[in-house]
Amino acid sequence: MASNRPVGVDGPVFKQALLGSLSWLAANHEEANRLNVFPVPDGDTGTNMLLTLQSAVEDIKESNAAEVSKIAKLASHGSLMGARGNSGVILSQIFRGFARAVEGKSSLTPRELAAAFEEAANAAYRAVNKPTEGTILTVAREAGRAATAAAASPDATVPSVIAAAASGARDAVLKTPSQLQILREAGVVDAGGFGLQVILEGMLKTVEESAFAATTRTTAKPLPSQVALELPEGGWGYCTEFLIEGSGLDLEVIRNQIEALGNSVLVVGEPELVKVHVHTDDPTRVITLAGGHGKLLKLNVGDMSTQHKRILEGDGLASKPPRPNGAGLVAVVAGKGLVEIFRGLGVDAIVEGGQSMNPSTQDMLIAIESLPYDEVILLPNNRNVVLAAKQATGLTKKKLHIVETHSVPEGVAAVVAFRPDRTGSVNVAAMKAEAERVQTIEVTHAVRDTRSNGLRVKKGDVIGLINDKLEFAGGDYADVVKRALGKLGPDSYELVTVYRGEGASEDELASLQSSIQSSFPGLEVEVQQGGQQHYPFILSVE
Amino acid sequence: MVTDSTADLPKEWGERYDIEVVPLKVLFGTETFRDGVDIDNEEFFRKLSTATKLPTTSAPSPGDFAEVYERLAKDHDGCISIHIGAQLSATAEAARVGAQSVEGFKVSVVDSETVTFPMAFLCRIAAESESLEAATEAVRQRVPNCRVLALLDTLRYLEMGGRMSRAAAVVGTMLNVKPILLVADRDIKPVERVRTRARAIPRMLDYFRTELPVEQVAVVHAQAADEAELIAADLRRELPDHEIPIGQIGSVLGTHTGPKALGLVYIKR
Repeated sequence: MASNRPVGVDGPVFKQALLGSLSWLAANHEEANRLNVFPVPDGDTGTNMLLTLQSAVEDIKESNAAEVSKIAKLASHGSLMGARGNSGVILSQIFRGFARAVEGKSSLTPRELAAAFEEAANAAYRAVNKPTEGTILTVAREAGRAATAAAASPDATVPSVIAAAASGARDAVLKTPSQLQILREAGVVDAGGFGLQVILEGMLKTVEESAFAATTRTTAKPLPSQVALELPEGGWGYCTEFLIEGSGLDLEVIRNQIEALGNSVLVVGEPELVKVHVHTDDPTRVITLAGGHGKLLKLNVGDMSTQHKRILEGDGLASKPPRPNGAGLVAVVAGKGLVEIFRGLGVDAIVEGGQSMNPSTQDMLIAIESLPYDEVILLPNNRNVVLAAKQATGLTKKKLHIVETHSVPEGVAAVVAFRPDRTGSVNVAAMKAEAERVQTIEVTHAVRDTRSNGLRVKKGDVIGLINDKLEFAGGDYADVVKRALGKLGPDSYELVTVYRGEGASEDELASLQSSIQSSFPGLEVEVQQGGQQHYPFILSVE
Repeated sequence: MVTDSTADLPKEWGERYDIEVVPLKVLFGTETFRDGVDIDNEEFFRKLSTATKLPTTSAPSPGDFAEVYERLAKDHDGCISIHIGAQLSATAEAARVGAQSVEGFKVSVVDSETVTFPMAFLCRIAAESESLEAATEAVRQRVPNCRVLALLDTLRYLEMGGRMSRAAAVVGTMLNVKPILLVADRDIKPVERVRTRARAIPRMLDYFRTELPVEQVAVVHAQAADEAELIAADLRRELPDHEIPIGQIGSVLGTHTGPKALGLVYIKR
């Protein structure tokens, strides 16, 4: 019914639109996952965007704000904290730009909505160091332009503007292969751009279908992957989380009070709705105190000693000698053996994640806050985690350094160079230099047919990547590694460390070792049980 | 002049300056060898490479020292006895106890707080002094300035020998890293960890350069003579005023460093 269609975008309309986006993306994120450029089992763009969007709307679900500006601000905060992967980070910047554009507004006209879409895209461009055309950025810009063109029409409506944005996005997505050679070769469209298209389509479906007077709630399915992403760490007794609803809430005051009662404190939000996360020995006191500020929602208290038992085993922080430089180390790692190696080298907190589970900014932030150090060095150890890691910089009071490690071998090299008696910045320089010296070879199986970097790859083929670039396909693990080492030029290197993944058998390991030793007798070979998923072998060459 | 076998004193210095060397002991199972007396370095490292169980080490007994002091008492009034750091071995304590049983003979026992070649330097400094008092004073002054910068091929031996829980905790033992350690201030501190030997050697030299100027410097090694020669040759070019002798790590210290250990040892000015 036309009369039920919204004439302007106010708080409730925007809230419903975002919830619609979430359920539409939940239904389509696998499609986005399948659009990975490299046929490697990682960089699940669809999942990353879905988790980011889920975090964006999480607090919104509890809010009854009438103003679009308040909902947009909550989405901006939520996505910033939940950002995962590069596309997720850019999505959070889009929300941020949108929130800035609608600041102070209670409702948006079609024209204002279009302007906000355009400003959102601009903000995302500004946030990225080297914007690349043919990505989610291009799609956001084209969506904004199409929306503005539609809004110029005298009979423009909110649905017509969103429809134009969605179709502008769709057209832009289809063009991405002509803008990026890697997409063209792989025969796919850009996954992040596609995700944004789906989000806009989800908004459109909502505003077109729903009669807002009698709201039909769309709820997203809970994702099992979120459970798996729970942060492992050492520390306090109870992980306590809740929202405070009230008016004129002072974040600074609340943060100071909560900080006195525990660690890993996060207090974010708006004067009307504040999200609190703390690890405390005394959840009752925290709850009583917070209850004095307003109404508590979504209270969740988890006993971390059982939650994180697995991680608390082994060497806790308490058993370590105090570090003279006062700097802590956080690394993003997955795989039992790799976690032990990083811990053994002195890393204080591990954020589980990597190849196919990109941790969120919040996951990393909690690990950073949990350390008893005011200065923290963070190692993302994966190209897809770097941006989300960088977002943490603006969200912590601690001095945070990010050593941009793109792989496990780079991460190990960086940690080895860490010296507890040296200041943070001196360490960071040394760690960066070491990470850059290491060459990474990764061996896995193609997850689909593709062409990339001049190679024709069939699903299931063994593929070899050197420093994240697909270089070899076909043959067995030993063949691929031999060719990769040959390409690197073994004379320039001394040591090969083989991290054996879950998927590699004893026999495969033995034949890999003997192949390296017979082909390159000058190289020393060290084998470590990495236990990583998806990659039967990761090799560090130095 | 008395020292112990962990000084890795060159034979000709012992003869030239008339220095008595009391051996520590290395035990392969139930077999006991006196360091440098019953077993030479070559033989020790050969045995080490084939041993199913790592050897252990022990300090000389007070009786071993008493015997040496009694012999010296026949034609000397006293001696200076310079020994391995008390944080590493009970040798200096054994010397002190042994000295008490020899009447009318003055023994000035010095805990060098260090190990290997700096002890040899201290012996030479003592030998060139005019009196026992002057020797003791000259040596004691330099004790706080003795340094051993060591590159181990693996932490395994040091760990097994129980000599460095703290350094091991910091260096990490999951991954095979080459630790560079500093023996100073009655402690063993990790200075740096590097994954390959080719990079570790220049790192060790870099660290040494930050410690200049030095009064004495030597290179020591355990079955790594070629690399020690190269390092010494480089240093002689850089520091033409220093002689830079090369010392061999003996069996007792070698039990804890393992083969292929390299050290830059010096006395800071």
